[in-house]
Amino acid sequence: MILPIPLNRSVKALTMLLFVCLPCFADSPSESAGEWKIINYWSTTCAPCRVEIPELNSLSKELAPAGVRVLGVNFDDESVEVTRRSARRMKIEFPNLTMAEVQAYGLTAPSVLPTTYILSPENVVMAKVVGLQTRDSLMTLLTDLGVSL
Amino acid sequence: MTRLVRLSLIAFLLSAGAGVGASAAQITLLASPALTQTHLSRLTSDTSGQLWLSWVATKAPTDEASDRPITSLHYARYADASWSAPRQIAEGNDWFVNWADFPVLAVHDQGMVAHWLPKSAAGTYDYDVVASFYSAPTDKWGPPVTINQDGVNAEHGFVSMLPMPGGRTFITWLDGRNTVPVEDAESTEDQAEIAGMTLRGGIFTGEGGTLQEWELDGLTCDCCQTSAAMAAAGPVVVYRDRTETEIRDIYITRLVDGHWTVPAPVHSDNWQVAGCPVNGPSVVARDQRVAVTWFTAKDDKPQVKLAFSTDGGASFGSPIIVDEGETNGRVSLALMPAGDVAVSWLATQGSVANIKVARYSPQGELRDSVNVATTRASRRSGFPVLANVGDDLYLTWTDLTDGMQVKVARINF
Repeated sequence: MILPIPLNRSVKALTMLLFVCLPCFADSPSESAGEWKIINYWSTTCAPCRVEIPELNSLSKELAPAGVRVLGVNFDDESVEVTRRSARRMKIEFPNLTMAEVQAYGLTAPSVLPTTYILSPENVVMAKVVGLQTRDSLMTLLTDLGVSL
Repeated sequence: MTRLVRLSLIAFLLSAGAGVGASAAQITLLASPALTQTHLSRLTSDTSGQLWLSWVATKAPTDEASDRPITSLHYARYADASWSAPRQIAEGNDWFVNWADFPVLAVHDQGMVAHWLPKSAAGTYDYDVVASFYSAPTDKWGPPVTINQDGVNAEHGFVSMLPMPGGRTFITWLDGRNTVPVEDAESTEDQAEIAGMTLRGGIFTGEGGTLQEWELDGLTCDCCQTSAAMAAAGPVVVYRDRTETEIRDIYITRLVDGHWTVPAPVHSDNWQVAGCPVNGPSVVARDQRVAVTWFTAKDDKPQVKLAFSTDGGASFGSPIIVDEGETNGRVSLALMPAGDVAVSWLATQGSVANIKVARYSPQGELRDSVNVATTRASRRSGFPVLANVGDDLYLTWTDLTDGMQVKVARINF
């Protein structure tokens, strides 16, 4: 679901907000069944998170045709409104999940940021990688998991 | 039924629900001076035996054109079983407000100091450490003083403060002056990659003047709280270090004879992670005794540890495992009069967290532990903070049951 967009935003901000849907899934993970998912925990205070966001933005576009979704989680568990602002400041261009949606996937908050999970189309956690990731490291991981790219 | 009895009963029921079991600890939930929409609280005690609570309140913007909430810093004093009327120190709509990096109030014999983090430039992560110094004779908070004097638009935060003799205050903080590219450098990209967060410290007068300032460590973890305590020789600072190979263990540096010692690990956990734990240590000290508690998660196995020093922090014994497995860390530490220490941390069960407090003897023997409250494991529940007045322990945290409100409980083991 895309939330209503405030009218007093600039065109640029509007464009960014369109990428930040909260919640992305109405009630359960079932809507994304059939897709591999890269779920990335980020925070505004996490410097390496900010470094890897451009890589994840790029992967989000690159992997969409292959049926792999990149999804974000605001580790700071802030309100939808604050998360939208934070995601905009972080220049995050992939959808973000609410904590309820994260729990529906059976994920719990990690000890370290950034942390990235790879979930199978059946929503089974296939990999958990801690720390700064790159496009290449995640592509290698997906390949090792047998994802057709 | 009096209000105090009702609150005590509520606290008892909360504890019972959390499965306190055989603990002999008594928990009394105090009436909070902080209203709703408050969070980011801290406790500290002064030498006269008074307890001080600080917190942040957030309210919606009054200007329709702005989407920035108005944030304000408040405090109240607890003495003779009641809170003073809350007072506001500062307010702004340009503060960097974060669950892990939030204001400190320090209280000493001749005054107080409090800090917050206003934006220094348009950049999202450009904010300074700004402090106000309270004058007892005038009963007024002074004008804001920028503690980091680098003039660089970068991150500055994760502050710890320590009252010093003569109305001075030791302040330490994480300083991101080296994390931004240097103008006119031949290879700014490379410089930005290799330069990291630094730990700095300074001694300030009662009016905010800088007496001395040092870089204490040239490369630290970016996003973990610092902690400071006064040992026999002088201030000690503990923090999460960062090596070039991304080992992020807890280190200590000490001011001895006017010089800071070379930072050394409290214990070599060898936790290698190229990321942010957002989980700083806590230190207490008296004379030569120093205790440090911290979170670590080597091999993705979370642990809360506690270690003691009997030589002012020069060396530490083998750490005690306070908790492991399902723990979020978020530790705090208090030093009791007879040398016992109390540790608080979050023990998690899925989305629920028990705020636990354990008391250890000076030799590290567990005397008792208790669940003080149950909250959400969410970051919004913040970092509970412990303080003590004599043998009375006090804990503050953010309750998320109905909105967001700062709570305070007294714990007697």
